[in-house]
Amino acid sequence: MRRRDLLAGAAALGASGVGAAYATGYIDPLGLAATVEPIELETIDAPGSQAGTLSVPERGNVTVLEFFATWCGVCAEQMEPMGAVYDDIGQHPDVQFLSVTNEPVGRTVTRSDVATWWIDHDGRWSVALDNDLALTEALDASGVPYTYVLDDSNAIRYAGRGYKSVDELLEPIERAVDGV
Amino acid sequence: MNTHSSPSTVDRRTFLRVTAATAVAGTAGCLGQGSSNENVVLDEPDAHERTVEADVPWPIYGDRIPEATVPAPLLERSVTTTAFTGERHTLFTFIFTRCPGACPGLMASLRHVQDDSISNEYADEVAFMPITFDPEYDTPDILGEYEERHGVDRELDNWYTLRPESPERATEVVEETFGCMFESTEDAESDSEGEMMDMEFMHTTLLILANKDGYVERAYSGDVPPPSTVVEDARTVVEGW
Repeated sequence: MRRRDLLAGAAALGASGVGAAYATGYIDPLGLAATVEPIELETIDAPGSQAGTLSVPERGNVTVLEFFATWCGVCAEQMEPMGAVYDDIGQHPDVQFLSVTNEPVGRTVTRSDVATWWIDHDGRWSVALDNDLALTEALDASGVPYTYVLDDSNAIRYAGRGYKSVDELLEPIERAVDGV
Repeated sequence: MNTHSSPSTVDRRTFLRVTAATAVAGTAGCLGQGSSNENVVLDEPDAHERTVEADVPWPIYGDRIPEATVPAPLLERSVTTTAFTGERHTLFTFIFTRCPGACPGLMASLRHVQDDSISNEYADEVAFMPITFDPEYDTPDILGEYEERHGVDRELDNWYTLRPESPERATEVVEETFGCMFESTEDAESDSEGEMMDMEFMHTTLLILANKDGYVERAYSGDVPPPSTVVEDARTVVEGW
């Protein structure tokens, strides 16, 4: 078997194949419009965020959330467009806007490390932990960054892995807010 | 979730073997849960027959872990991939640190299991062996930073980042021994795979969970497995042992 065939064979056995495919786009296996049940997440004390809990996604509101990890370089780059979107529409009363880290937090990576990362990257909205991966699993967020827009019935209206521009983010959010 | 209890390993195993020897087919005990393979705890994976038919080069469910001795530069010694047989369950993965997508995902899964091994008190029953296939770039310093960035806990003494001595040795260990294919993208055709040109390597995405006896419980390939799946499977193996 040629090497290239072996790599292709690996792809055929799995959903999207070799590692490279990870970076080149992704078909959401949940499908858009799948609804998810709210999950209680711990929020941390950081700029724009208070220690406590949040129910995510919040029923009745549009939810914009991004999974990230502090080791993830693209997630750091994603903070700027996320910030612009937050300033534009994230504080709208009908929008729940947050970032969620799904790395294991509590031991080697502490809450304070997450808060420091948050400060370093100009975070100014709610930041939560998905320590037991319940939300990650519910949304099938394979990889970071991974951005979701859910409508007021908690149906997934947008799911995108990798870096997203302001326009790419705003379009599905505005549609969800307008109920289109 | 469940707190790990520590049943006597020997007793449990002996019990299992006796049960297996005396039970008729289809009435296997709670351990193994109908598995046709007495060397493993987990049930057969869904696509197992397809994987067998495909004759993939990497070890799959029920296979033995291949043996290779590779330097673990951050620990200043060499480690044999089968060194923990009889003592610990082992997780292997194959990575290069410049990899933008799949490899950090694989590392994240190992890290989640490492964290879970602390929470549920099985840290001394598991060993983690990520192996780089890019030793030219992945120097010990780079690998150390990579571990650091991912929050690897070095105090637990269960993390062994392995680095073959040379690209030739990486090919021997990662491709020829473990069947995890990788290929530099430099000589790949640029037309059909333009988007892969940002990557230094194409590679099989592979994460292997092996049990204490050295048998593969799960070989996750194709897509990066969700960390929660790997954590759940690792717990099942630890608790079912």
